[in-house]
Amino acid sequence: MSFADLVTATNYSFLRGASHPKDMVGQALALGHSGIGIADRNTVAGVVRAHVALKESQAKSREETGSETPFKLAVGSRLVFVDGTPDIVVYPRTRYGWGRLTRLLTLGNRRAEKGGCILRFADLLEFAQDMVLIVLSESSFDPHEVDEAKHSRPKSDDSSNVVTLEFSDRHPGLVPGPTGEHATVSRLERWAPAQGRGDDRLERVLARLAKALPGGIWLGVSMPRAGRDGRKLARLCRLANEAHVPVLATCDALYATAGQRPLHDIVTCIRKGETVAGAGRLLEANGERHLKPETEMRRLFRDRPDAVDESERILSLIDFTLDQLKYEYPHEPVPPGWDPQDWLEHLVYKEANKQHPDGIPVKLQKTLDEEFELIRDRNYAYYFLTVYEAVKFAREQKPPILCQGRGSAANSAVCYLLGVTSVDPMKYDLLFSRFVSSKRDEPPDIDVDFEHERREDVIQHIYERYGRHRAAIAATVIHYRARSTVREVGKALGLSEDVTQRLTSTVWGSYASSMEEDRFAMAGYSLDNPAMAQLKTIVDQLLEFPRHLSQHVGGFVLTQDRLDETVPLHNAAMEDRTFIEWDKDDIDALGLMKVDILALGMLTCIQKCFDLMRLHGLGDYDLKSIPQDDPEVYDMLRKGDSIGVFQIESRAQINMLPRLKPRKFYDLVIQVAIVRPGPIEGDMVHPYLRRRAGKEKPELPSPKYGDPGELKDVLGKTEGVPLFQEQAMKLAIVAAGFSPDKANELRKAMATFRNAGTIGNLKADMIEGMVKRGYERDFAERCYKQIEGFGSYGFPESHALSFAGLVYVSSWIKYHHPAVFCAALLNSQPMGFYAPAQLVGDARKHGVEVREVDVNVSAWDNTIEPVLNRDPGLVPGVTHPQSTPSLVAQWTLEHVRGDEEGKGVALRLGFRQIDGFKEDWAKSLVASRETGPFASVEELAARANLPSRALRLLADADAFRSIDLDRRGALWEARRMPGDVLPLFAAAEARQLGAETDAQLPAMPLSEHVAADYQVTRLSLKGHPMQFLREGFEREGVLSSAEAGRLSKGRVRVAGVVLVRQRPGKGNAIFVTLEDETGIVNVLFWARTFEVYRRQIMAAHLMEVEGEVRKSEEGVLHIIGARAIDRTEELSKLSEDHVTRPPMARADVSLAPDHRRDVAPRGSHPRNVRILPKSRDFH
Amino acid sequence: MVFVESVKGAMRIIACCQTAAALGLASGTTLADARARVPDLEAIDHAPHADHDWLEALADGCGRYTPSVALDPPDGLVLDIAGCTHGFGGERELGAEIESQLARRGIAVRWACGDTPDAARALARFQTAAAPDEDAAIRRLPVIALGLDDEDTVALSRAGLKTIGDIACRPLAMIAARFGADAVTGIRRILGEEESPLTPRVVTPPLRVERRFAEPVARTEYALEVLGELAAEAVVVLEETGEGGRRFEARFFRSDGLVQRLAVETGQPSRDVKAILRLFRERIDSLSDPIDPGFGFDLIRLDVPIAEPLDASQLKLEGGAVAEIEVAALIDRLSTRLGRGRVRRFVPRDTHIPEQAELLLPAVEAGKPVPWPKPEAGEPPLRPIHLFDPPQPIQVTSEVPDGPPLQFRWRRTLHEVARMEGPERIAPEWWRRREGKGLTRDYYRIEDVRGRRFWIFRHGLYDEVEQPGWYVHGLFA
Repeated sequence: MSFADLVTATNYSFLRGASHPKDMVGQALALGHSGIGIADRNTVAGVVRAHVALKESQAKSREETGSETPFKLAVGSRLVFVDGTPDIVVYPRTRYGWGRLTRLLTLGNRRAEKGGCILRFADLLEFAQDMVLIVLSESSFDPHEVDEAKHSRPKSDDSSNVVTLEFSDRHPGLVPGPTGEHATVSRLERWAPAQGRGDDRLERVLARLAKALPGGIWLGVSMPRAGRDGRKLARLCRLANEAHVPVLATCDALYATAGQRPLHDIVTCIRKGETVAGAGRLLEANGERHLKPETEMRRLFRDRPDAVDESERILSLIDFTLDQLKYEYPHEPVPPGWDPQDWLEHLVYKEANKQHPDGIPVKLQKTLDEEFELIRDRNYAYYFLTVYEAVKFAREQKPPILCQGRGSAANSAVCYLLGVTSVDPMKYDLLFSRFVSSKRDEPPDIDVDFEHERREDVIQHIYERYGRHRAAIAATVIHYRARSTVREVGKALGLSEDVTQRLTSTVWGSYASSMEEDRFAMAGYSLDNPAMAQLKTIVDQLLEFPRHLSQHVGGFVLTQDRLDETVPLHNAAMEDRTFIEWDKDDIDALGLMKVDILALGMLTCIQKCFDLMRLHGLGDYDLKSIPQDDPEVYDMLRKGDSIGVFQIESRAQINMLPRLKPRKFYDLVIQVAIVRPGPIEGDMVHPYLRRRAGKEKPELPSPKYGDPGELKDVLGKTEGVPLFQEQAMKLAIVAAGFSPDKANELRKAMATFRNAGTIGNLKADMIEGMVKRGYERDFAERCYKQIEGFGSYGFPESHALSFAGLVYVSSWIKYHHPAVFCAALLNSQPMGFYAPAQLVGDARKHGVEVREVDVNVSAWDNTIEPVLNRDPGLVPGVTHPQSTPSLVAQWTLEHVRGDEEGKGVALRLGFRQIDGFKEDWAKSLVASRETGPFASVEELAARANLPSRALRLLADADAFRSIDLDRRGALWEARRMPGDVLPLFAAAEARQLGAETDAQLPAMPLSEHVAADYQVTRLSLKGHPMQFLREGFEREGVLSSAEAGRLSKGRVRVAGVVLVRQRPGKGNAIFVTLEDETGIVNVLFWARTFEVYRRQIMAAHLMEVEGEVRKSEEGVLHIIGARAIDRTEELSKLSEDHVTRPPMARADVSLAPDHRRDVAPRGSHPRNVRILPKSRDFH
Repeated sequence: MVFVESVKGAMRIIACCQTAAALGLASGTTLADARARVPDLEAIDHAPHADHDWLEALADGCGRYTPSVALDPPDGLVLDIAGCTHGFGGERELGAEIESQLARRGIAVRWACGDTPDAARALARFQTAAAPDEDAAIRRLPVIALGLDDEDTVALSRAGLKTIGDIACRPLAMIAARFGADAVTGIRRILGEEESPLTPRVVTPPLRVERRFAEPVARTEYALEVLGELAAEAVVVLEETGEGGRRFEARFFRSDGLVQRLAVETGQPSRDVKAILRLFRERIDSLSDPIDPGFGFDLIRLDVPIAEPLDASQLKLEGGAVAEIEVAALIDRLSTRLGRGRVRRFVPRDTHIPEQAELLLPAVEAGKPVPWPKPEAGEPPLRPIHLFDPPQPIQVTSEVPDGPPLQFRWRRTLHEVARMEGPERIAPEWWRRREGKGLTRDYYRIEDVRGRRFWIFRHGLYDEVEQPGWYVHGLFA
C-alpha cells in the first residue's frame, strides 16, 4: 500500500503556504510517499519549481543508486471561488485537461482587474474536462483577496472583458483524452450555490459535479485534530456516500514539516496585518498541517482506510506531466509557401550579398553554414524570424525606433546580418557556439534594446500582431529580501518600527538576500535577546520566499498556439499588458523561449541627437553611418572627458580612461567590461593595466602538465588576463578540465548566485582542478573570485561589444556636437549619472553657449539655435544694472574653450527644465506665440491662457528677460495677474489691470539669482554658489578645486557643493565628489574616518574637507579626507541681505540652536532647505 | 532623541532634542537619513495629543498670571497681561518669573511683549536682535513672521521684501493685489493698526451644584432629599451637554467644620436621578458610621468630576426598561454595595489557550458586555461549564503515543471511559517562550460508564517529554 498527499500548498499560495515547492517534494520523497499533488490557490506559479526539484532529485538518486524511486508529481491548482463554493483542487489528467485548467485560471485572472482571481462554480463546470477534482469541505475564500468593487460590476459576469473563446483549439495536443467525458454543460443551467448553506451546499456541489464529471470527483477529508474530527469525518463520509463519491484522505498541508508552524503563524499575521500576540484564533490552534507519514495517516483514518488508498487511484488516473508542454514559436513571420528555415536563409543571404557584392568571404560562408545547421537541427528558425520581425517593425516606424541587440546574441553572424545586432562577429572572432550550442539543451536568448520612450509601441505591436492569447510578458517573482523580511516579520512579532528600521538600515541596498548575525550587532542588538533570536530564526526562513508576481522588464513569450492553454495569464499593473505566471527560470526549465524587448535610455538620447542634427543641417546619421575610428574622439576619452557618454561616465570609469588610454574600438570594449565587480574582485584590473602599459610582459599562465600554450586562444586578446565572462568559462574548461556541461552548471550557479548555494562544491572542483594541472593556486583563486563576481554583474564579450558601439556613437556626438548632445541628454531625463546642472556645466566647458529659458524663444524641449542670433535674454541686469553683470561674464568666459569648428550652435534651455512646469502649458504657450512675441506678462497670460501657477513658475525661472523683466520684476507682475478665471472674464479683467506706481523693489543680488535658479531649474547659468562664498573661504585658507588640482602633494583644505556620495563594493572607502566654480574634486574617506565624520559627510550639502592630495601617474587627483566639516549653513548667505544680517548675529544663533518644529530658525527662509538639488547618495 | 511620525509612508522627524539639533538634525529629515548620520539615534513616536495636553497643562499653570490665556499650538501660549503686571513689578519681571518657573520644569522659553497678540507672537518667535523700541523691532522682523504660506513667503522674499518694514512702507494695495487681503490684515495686525482678537481658552469647570442653608439641616433624611434635588439639577445640566455622569461626589459640610464625603460610580454614564440616589443610599447603608449630621449641615455640594457623552436613550415602545440598562443598574448597585472588585464579569479573549480565553474584570470597568459564542445546534459543546484552575492531575491508562484515555483515576476514584471524542490539539504559544519550548495539549471530551463527563488533557506529546502528564481541566454538564 502507499499514500500520497494530494492537497498541499506551497509558498506560491502567497502568505498561506510556508514551504518552498522543492521542500514539499523533498519531504514527500523523504517520507516515502508515492507522489505528491501541488495545488496552490488559483495559480500554478509554483509547480515548475516542484517539477524541477523532482527531476533534480531523481537525477541525483540515479547517479547515486542507479535507480530512481517511483514518485509521481501531480500538478494542478486549488480553486477558490468567490461565490462561496467549497474549495476544489483540480489536477489535469491529460495535456488537454491542463489547457482547460490554464484557460479557466486565465479567465478568473483577467476578470480581476487589480490582482486576484475571480472564479465561480459555473466557470468550473464549463472547463472541467479531463480533470480530477477533489472537493474540500469548506471555502477558504477571503473577500479581501479580490477587489470586490471591481468584480461586482455587472459586466464582469460574463467573458466580455476576457480573452475571447472563439479562437479554435488548434493545439495538436489538445484533443480530449480517452478518459474525458467531454461534458458540455449548458450555461442555461444556472448554478445558485448561495441558496445552500454548509453541508447543503457541499451536497449540491458534489451532486452537480458527479453528474458533470462522473468518476472524476473525490471528497477530500482531513483530520486536523480539532476536537470533533471523528464526527466531521462521519458526516462527510455520509455525504460522499449519498453522492456516490469516494473520500480521499489528506492533511490539507500548508508546510512540509511540523517545524514550520511558527513561520506559518508569521505569514498569517503578515497577511492579516496582525501581531502574533494579538492574532488569537486567526492562527491555527496547532501545527498539524504538514505532510505526514503513511503509517500516521492510516492511524488517523483507521475508520476509513479506503480514504487513504484513494490517493493511489487518483495518481494512476493522471497522465499529465509538465514535460508534455511542447512549445512552438509563432509561424506568422514566414510568408505563405516558404519553409521557415529557407526563408531565414533567404533573408540572411540577401543581406550578405548586399554587404559583400564581390562574393561572400569563405570565413563568413563557413560560419553561416555552421549556424544554419544548428538552427535547423534545433528548429530555431521561427525564433530568429520573430525577433527579426520586431526589429524590422521598429526600423520601419516613422521616424524609426532605434534598436540594437545586446548580450550573447552578438556572437551570431545570422543575428548580425538580420540587423538584430550591430557587432560583426567575423571582425572579433566571436563564436556562435557560445550563443547556442547543440550540447547545451537550452533555448537561445536574444535581448534587444529599444528607445525607452518608444518601447511601448513595439510591445503593443507584438500584442496586436500575435494576439493577447498568444503573447504575454514573463513574470518576475518578487522575493522577500532582507529589508522587507525584517520589516514585516518584526511587525508581526510586535517589534516597533524603530527597531526594525534600525536593523534594516544596516543593509546596504534593498536586494541583500541575507541577514547575517553581525547586522544585529551593528544595529546594537544582541542575539541573546530572545525577541531578536526569534526574529532572526524566522527571518532566515522567510528570506527568499516568493512575495508576489510582477511582470518581467520585457521578456516576451510568444506561441503559435494559445498561450493560455500552456500557462495562465494575468493582467499587469500597467495598462494594456498581460503576463504569464511563470518566470524566466520556469520558462527555461520547460524549454519555452522568450524574446527580451528591453528599454535603453541612451538609444532615446541618440535618436534625439540624430533628429536635432538633421533638423539643423548638422548631418544625417544613423547608428551605422557615424564615421568610425575618429582619433579625436579617442583623444577626448583619453582625457577622461566622458560626462554623459553611455556606460563610461561614472567616476570609476572616468578615472580608468586615462589609465587605459583607449585608441581603438576594442579598447572601448575592454573599458566597458573592466570596471565591473567581476574583474575588480578578481583583481584582474591592475595586471591588465600594467601589461597594457608595457610595464609587465604579457605572460600566459601555463600548466606544468599539458600544452603550455593552451590558454593562448582563451586569453590572447586581453594580454593574458581574463576580463570577460566567456573567458572565465573557457578557463574552467581548458585549465580546470571541466566538461562543457559542468562549466555550464557553473555558469548557471553563477547566474542564480543569489538564489542557490550550490556554487560551493564547484569552487573546490575548479580551483583544485587548476592546481592539479599545474597552475598556481593564486591564479586559480583569482580566476574563481572573478567568476564569482561575474555571477551578478559580469559582462560577456559580445555584450561589451554591443555596448561599446553605443559608447563610441555617444562619444562621437559629444565631441563633434556638444550642444546637440547636451540638449538630447536633458530631453531624455531622467537617465544617466549626472544631474542637469552637471551636464550643462560640462557642455559650457566645451564651449557651448547655453541660453536661459525665455518665454519668447524656448520650447518644451531643450533646443539648439544658431549662435549668431543675438540672445534677447543674454545679458542679465538690463533692467537692473546694479546686479553686477561683470561677474557673470567673468565666470562664463573662463570656461569657454573658444569657438571651434562645427560648434557654432547654442543650447537653448526648454520649459521642461522648470520644476513643476507642465508640458501642456508649454504647448499652449508655444502655439499662442506663433502670432508674434509677447510684450508683457499680461499679454502672455491672456494669449496663452495659462493658470497663475504657470506664470509664477515662468517668472521664478527668470524667463521674461526678453521683455525687459528680470526675475523680481516678472514675479511682481505675475503675482498681480488674476487667479484662475474663465478666459472670457480674464480678458475682461485684464483690461482693468491699470497702471500701478513703481514698487521700487530693491535689485536682486546676483547671488540670490543663482540661488533661485538652482531652486527652480536645478541649475544656474549666472554663476556657481561657491563663487559668492569664495572670498570667505579664501580668507580661511580653503583652496578652490582648480588650485588643489595644481598641487601634487601636501595637506589641503577644499570646499564645495556635494554632488555625490558613494560607497562601492565592500564599503571600505567612501567617495565624495565636490563641485565649486572652478571644477570638481574627488575626495576619498576610508571607512575609519567616515565613522568619525559620518554625520557631517552624510548631512552636508556644502562640505569642507581637509586631507592629503594624492595624484596618480595619469594625473588623476584625489584627496584622502582626514576631516570633514558641514558648511551647509554658508549657503544661506547667498540669498540673505548681507547688510541687515551681520554674521555675528548668525553665530549667536548657532550657540542656542532652536528646536521648534514648524518654524524655520529665526530669520532664515524655508527655501534654503532646498537650495541645491539633493545629491545622489547611498544609504 | 527625536520624535518621528509617518509622513507619506516615510518616517520623518517632527521634532528633535537640543542634542540632536546640535548634531544637525532637523524636522523634515527622514529617519533613515538621520540614522545614516547618527546611527545611535533614539527615535520616539510623535504624539500630537500628548503635546496638546501638555500645552493645556501649561496654560492652566499660567492662570496664576492672568485669567486670559490663549493657546498658540503647537508650542506657544499667548497671555493677555493687561493690568496683571503690577503684582510682579512690571512686564520684564513677569517674563523673568515665567521663564524661571518653566526653567525649573526643564522648559526653555522665548517670550516677548507686544501691543497686540500678533505682534507679541511674532516678536517672540522671530526677533533676533535688540531694537530701540517695539515698532522698530517689528519692522525688522522677517516676512515669515506674517505667518503666510510658504509660497507667499518665498515670493515676498524673492521680490526683495525681506522684512515687515519693507512691506509696510509700500502701498498696501499693491500687496493686497498680489498676496490677498489676508496678508494685509496680517501686516496691519502685527503693526497694531488693526485689532486682533484673542480667543482665550475656555476651561469648563467640573459640574458642581450646591445648596446653602440659613439654618443648619440636622436630619439625614432631609439632607438626602436635598441631595436628590441637587442631582436633579445636575442632570438638567448634563442633559444640555449631552453627557452622563460616571462619578458623583457629595460633600456634606457640617456647621462645626467637619466635611463628610460620599462618592459613587456607575458603569455606564448615567442621568438617572433615581438610580444615582439609590447608589448613594446603598453607599450610606454600607458605611460603618452612617452620616452623622451632628449640629447640622450648612452646605451640601454635589460634584460630577467624570462625565462622558451619553445619547438620549429611547425607551422601548411597549414600555419597560431595556434589559441591558437594568443589568447595568444592578451592576452599579451591587458594585456600590459590595465594592467594585467584588462584582466581576467575564470578558472573552481571543486565544486558543482555554484558561486564558476569558478574563474576569470588575463589572464597572468591563464596559459593554460582549456576546458569548453561541453553541452550534446539534453539536455537543467543545468547552466545559466548569474549568479547574489549576487543572487537576490524574493517572491515566491510554494508548501510546497519542491515543485516547481508556480509564483514569481522579481523586482516588477510578473512571472507566465509556465514550470519548478528540483529540483537540492545542499547541503552545511559541512566541511567548524562548526557543519555542512549551508543551502541546491533547484535549478529550470523556463520558465515563456512569455518565459523568470530563474534559481531560495530555500535557505534552511523546516527542516533547518523556512521560506526559494527564490532567482533568473541566467538567461538562
